[in-house]
Amino acid sequence: MKKDTIDDKILELVKQDEGISNKEIARILGVAEGEVSYRIRKFSDTRSKILIVDDEMDTLLPLKRSLEVDDYGVVEAHNGDEAIEKAKSELPDLILLDVMLPGMDGYEVCDRLRKDQLTEKIPIIMLTAKDEMGDKVEGLETGADDYVTKPFNLGELKARIKSVLRRSRNM
Amino acid sequence: MSIRLLLIIFFLLISVVPLSIVVFISFDHSRDVIRETVDFNVQSAAKNTANEIDNWMDARRDDIRVLSQSRIILNADKRDLYDYLNTFQNEYRGVYREFFMLDRNGNIKFSTLDHTGNASKDPYFNEAMNGKLYISDVYLSPVFGDPEIIISSPIRNNRITTGVFAARVSLENLYRDIENIDIGKSAEIFIVNKDGSVIFHENRSIIGSIRNDLAVSEVTYEKNDVRDYTNYRGEKVLGSYYWLPLYRWGIIVEIKQDEAYSGVLSLGEQTVGVSSIAVICVVILAIILSKRITAPIKSLENGALGLVEGNFKPVQVTSSNEIGRLTDIFNNTAKELLNIRKKLEAKIELANKDLEEKNRELIAANEELKKLDELKSEFLSLVSHELKTPLSSMRISAEYLESEADADPAIQKEMLAIILRNIDRQTRLINDILDLSKIEAGKTELRLEHVDIGEIANVSVDNIRQIALKKNITVSADVPEELSPVLADREKLIIVLNNLLDNALKFTPEGGSINISAREMDSSVELSIKDTGIGIEKEKLDKIFDKFYQVDSTSRRKIGGCGLGLSISSGIIKAHDSAIHVKSEPGKGTTFSFSLKKVEK
Repeated sequence: MKKDTIDDKILELVKQDEGISNKEIARILGVAEGEVSYRIRKFSDTRSKILIVDDEMDTLLPLKRSLEVDDYGVVEAHNGDEAIEKAKSELPDLILLDVMLPGMDGYEVCDRLRKDQLTEKIPIIMLTAKDEMGDKVEGLETGADDYVTKPFNLGELKARIKSVLRRSRNM
Repeated sequence: MSIRLLLIIFFLLISVVPLSIVVFISFDHSRDVIRETVDFNVQSAAKNTANEIDNWMDARRDDIRVLSQSRIILNADKRDLYDYLNTFQNEYRGVYREFFMLDRNGNIKFSTLDHTGNASKDPYFNEAMNGKLYISDVYLSPVFGDPEIIISSPIRNNRITTGVFAARVSLENLYRDIENIDIGKSAEIFIVNKDGSVIFHENRSIIGSIRNDLAVSEVTYEKNDVRDYTNYRGEKVLGSYYWLPLYRWGIIVEIKQDEAYSGVLSLGEQTVGVSSIAVICVVILAIILSKRITAPIKSLENGALGLVEGNFKPVQVTSSNEIGRLTDIFNNTAKELLNIRKKLEAKIELANKDLEEKNRELIAANEELKKLDELKSEFLSLVSHELKTPLSSMRISAEYLESEADADPAIQKEMLAIILRNIDRQTRLINDILDLSKIEAGKTELRLEHVDIGEIANVSVDNIRQIALKKNITVSADVPEELSPVLADREKLIIVLNNLLDNALKFTPEGGSINISAREMDSSVELSIKDTGIGIEKEKLDKIFDKFYQVDSTSRRKIGGCGLGLSISSGIIKAHDSAIHVKSEPGKGTTFSFSLKKVEK
């Protein structure tokens, strides 16, 4: 929430003086100039935002690159706690959630997100190496919107992302 | 049906039934005898009366016959007749009331009472004229008003009937004689003539006719018999009737049946009474006897029931007969049985305890197996994940490279690096799994040679030094210079050391230290690897060499690997006929050690 108040303050300052520079805003609010410029850039970012949660950097990185090429805004998280924190602060349009996470696993993350009013509506696609039926049922029961098993076809994943996003927008 | 009831019924059958038959037969017989006697008595009464009448009548007839044939009558001198007949009359006081003579035409030519008249139409005159001694029917005397008869006899002179001699005879004398005959208390005697009119009855007022009396109608048909019937008074009577043809009289003797058969009735009562007492006696006897017989059996039964229900008390022996002996045997058997039962119960208890223990062991073993199974499926999903994750990374990277041909060269290089790294990772994992499966299958082939442990230890430490430096971990080796060579598979020993050092690196936090040391023993060389890592809890120590086992499944991700290193290492050392030992203290560190045999000189 702290960051949101910073966002609000930035917006207020810009409304008062349209010609105000990033440097000046940073000085007034006591934060780095880089962060101010990042936040302002984010205000104007109208791309769909996707949160990728995976502890394997080698999976996360190429996935991120591929989605960015398709003009999605990508946010990363490397474990369950970070995933919940990012989901609340960034309010992504979609979450790609790996099941096998260290500590809190994907199912629990999904469950917690669904129980929070702020994040309950965010569509979730589960990613996992497990492909047994039991896991699929478990995934959907905890409230995941879709399920993709590793190793997945990138084209298929993108198609599912599109379909889930379209569905959530229509709701 | 209980034995007691059976006994009672049996006794009743063998005593009461024959008794009843005997009583019934004797009663029946006695009744017949009594009846016959009574019948005989009644008949005798009638016959006695008849005899009395016959006797009396015979005397009268003789008188008349004699008189009718006497000279005085034949002479018919009136004075003589008066004297003679009056004398005769007086002699038989009151019997003869009048003597008279009739001529051939029926005219009375002489009468002691000086009667005159004609009797030519009267039967007594005609019968006498025909030569018969005739006795007339009874009639009421016109002079005296009581019953009398006329007896007539022909008067003959030279075989020619010249007239008739007759006498009026009062029956009073005869009646008094009859009344004197003893015929029994309630017996009634009366005499009827051919018309059924009573001509004699002890109660004189009943003179006239009697109807509705079977005996009267039977006797007027000239029948003789003894019978039971209902008489003119409506009483049930036993009656005897007897016909006297000469005088055309019927004698009837009636006696009331209750009186006549009182003997039968009282006999019946006595019989019933005596037999009832006998039956009651038999029943009481049967009950007492059956009780005496069945009481010991009953107590035996109770004893047996007690034995079954578990509160056995010895049965009292009350007699020395078969049942007494049986009771004795039962008591002994029961005691023996209870002893056996106690022993059996003790044995069963023991067996139960044993079974419970076995059961507990089985349950524990089952739990173990379940845990093992869980571990196995966890391992499988882990292996699946571990194999698919690198594939996934490679695939995404490759797809990126394929679709973004004109991407930034730096990013292209990054993608290729990811692919290569994951190929290495996949290869390592597959090798690990293959090694483990060989060890599992017992197919580890050792290529034994003379190995210098010190050299291998130093090389292994050098291998990890770079990584240790990055984590700020101090690595040291305490290896004596002139170590005896051991007999081992060099390549596999390197794997073991690498695994153990990898583990130490993984679990030792920044700023910690790892030490590898070797020392000479009697017949072997011992190698120890000590770290200042997070340590292992005591209860988990004996499981760390199990395949698939990981101390903490959540730590797996942070640290990497899939729990095969220690299993592989342990398998290799076991193949060298030795074992890896571990000592650990949570939070302080862990020491792994093993020893290998020196080369024999």
